[in-house]
Amino acid sequence: MNDTRHVTIVMIEDDDGHARLIERNIRRAGIMNDIRHFPDGGSALEYLHSDAEGPTMNGPALVLLDLNLPDMSGTDILAEIKSNDRLRRTPVVVLTTTDDKVEVQRCYDLGCNVYITKPVNYESFADAIRQLGLFLSVIQVPEAEEGA
Amino acid sequence: MLKLSQRTANVLILSCVVAGFLLLMAIGLTGVKVMQRNLSFTDLVAHTYKVQDAVSEYRILNERLETARRGYLLSASPSFIAVFEKTAAALPPALQRVDDLTVDSPAQQARVARARALMTQQLAIARTSVRQRRATAANFIDDTVVRDTRIIREITLEMSREESGKLAVRDRERVNSIAQLIEITTAGGVLTVMIAIGSLWVIWRYTRDLTLSRDALGRLNEGLEDEVRLRTAELIRANEEIQRFAYIVSHDLRSPLVNVMGFTSELETAAKPLAALVARVEAEAPHLVTPDAKLAVTSDLPESLGFIRASTQKMDRLINAILRLSREGRRVLTPERIDLADLLAGVAASLRHRADELGATIEIEPGMPAVVSDKLALEQIFSNLVENALKYLKPDRPGQILIRSHRRGERVLVEVADNGRGVDPRDHARIFDLFRRSGVQDQPGEGIGLAHVRALAYRLGGVVTVESALDAGATFRVSLPATLSTEAVAA
Repeated sequence: MNDTRHVTIVMIEDDDGHARLIERNIRRAGIMNDIRHFPDGGSALEYLHSDAEGPTMNGPALVLLDLNLPDMSGTDILAEIKSNDRLRRTPVVVLTTTDDKVEVQRCYDLGCNVYITKPVNYESFADAIRQLGLFLSVIQVPEAEEGA
Repeated sequence: MLKLSQRTANVLILSCVVAGFLLLMAIGLTGVKVMQRNLSFTDLVAHTYKVQDAVSEYRILNERLETARRGYLLSASPSFIAVFEKTAAALPPALQRVDDLTVDSPAQQARVARARALMTQQLAIARTSVRQRRATAANFIDDTVVRDTRIIREITLEMSREESGKLAVRDRERVNSIAQLIEITTAGGVLTVMIAIGSLWVIWRYTRDLTLSRDALGRLNEGLEDEVRLRTAELIRANEEIQRFAYIVSHDLRSPLVNVMGFTSELETAAKPLAALVARVEAEAPHLVTPDAKLAVTSDLPESLGFIRASTQKMDRLINAILRLSREGRRVLTPERIDLADLLAGVAASLRHRADELGATIEIEPGMPAVVSDKLALEQIFSNLVENALKYLKPDRPGQILIRSHRRGERVLVEVADNGRGVDPRDHARIFDLFRRSGVQDQPGEGIGLAHVRALAYRLGGVVTVESALDAGATFRVSLPATLSTEAVAA
């Protein structure tokens, strides 16, 4: 049995407001896991690849990814995660304002696990995040592989 | 060539050719006339010969009578009597023949009359002299017959001479007339050749001009097509840019809006325990509650939050409208054969319930054409127009909406006409702009419908116009290509 409490939630979101609202609603759903917030792609990839507590080195993680980032496209981050042997099993939830059909398809083609469009209406937004929290509480996340 | 206008030059050339042909015709007619005159001259000459012939015959008979008489008087041989009698009988008819042939000449007629008088006298005396032959011997010295015969001989010679003179004159005239005919025929031939050359020149010139203008037109057309292709490509690029711009802007506007709406909700949530606290403090320790604090919690805060919420909701609707338009602009059109009657019946059926509630009728005129276009776009266009017609009816008269259509060459014109409140002519251009509306604002809406209709019509290669006056109903006209071109689809 996998204890999801150890799973770190890696939130890659450039908008501090969105990040705060997401965090609050996840907490309200009763999810108390660590949440690491990165406002840009560079620092997030740095953490994912080489941080001592990052998923490559240690412990399972789940990535919440926004596609509109200031320094790089979210899809590039997704592609990088899914092409990396040590990261590819990490679940990625794309949580973004873009609802373009082509973009959604592209993300799933790249290996994204869940694609959620941020509702503008706050009640729906809060609801969606809480349900995501509920989902996180039951999801099985693979353990980090032992060093090869 | 003179610097005449093409039109004047053409008229001039054409009238020259026509004049030439008329002249040729006149020459032909003159030729025929001259020939006819020539024929009549020949007839006259033949007639003169005949007259001469008759005169000669009479003269011979005249001599023979005298010869026969003399023979008998000298020899008393009865054979001379027979000849005499026969000649005497033949003389009057011979003279009569001359008389008949010369009715046209008074001079000859006078001679004939003189000859006839002498002949009567001559015959009478000759017969008497023959009868008296047995009694007396021949005496020619004072015989009047001899004198008469001589005079008649002279008369007939005169007649012959006159006829010869006439013959010479007529012959000359005939020769002249033939020469004239030759001249006229030659002139006609020369003129024919000239007209033929002129006609050929005109035809050649026309053909050359035609070829030149056709080539020029072809070049112009090619240039025009290139120009159109270029412009179309530019338009497509510009349109794509606008679509992309609208998409990015609406997306990026959404992001802060999520925050505004989110934190407004958070504020509302946070305000509730504060309000409860103020209420509790007021109940337990009223001196601690200032009027400002109470007003802020009970009135100012909820009111402000309410305005923020209403405005952000409106902003959300507007952004969504732009997003929808830009998405519609990016949708790939799929042209298919559509029976407009079916499509419009479907549109009317989907709005039947609303129409019934309002007591309005939707009528579709029979004889709708078929088009090849995008079905969804057409449905949206006509749904919007009929919906608008229902929305802006005049409450004091039963609504009547009429949809009719005509085919105009390569285009199809569909009209949605109502008897509603109408649109002020000053607003006719405005109502097709995004977020712009007209008239009394008593109906819900953001001013998106007609902007959407126009954008869709443009994409289908069409245009939409309105004809209306206040209180006089409105007619929206959608003009579409009967067949949506593949170039437009590619855009």
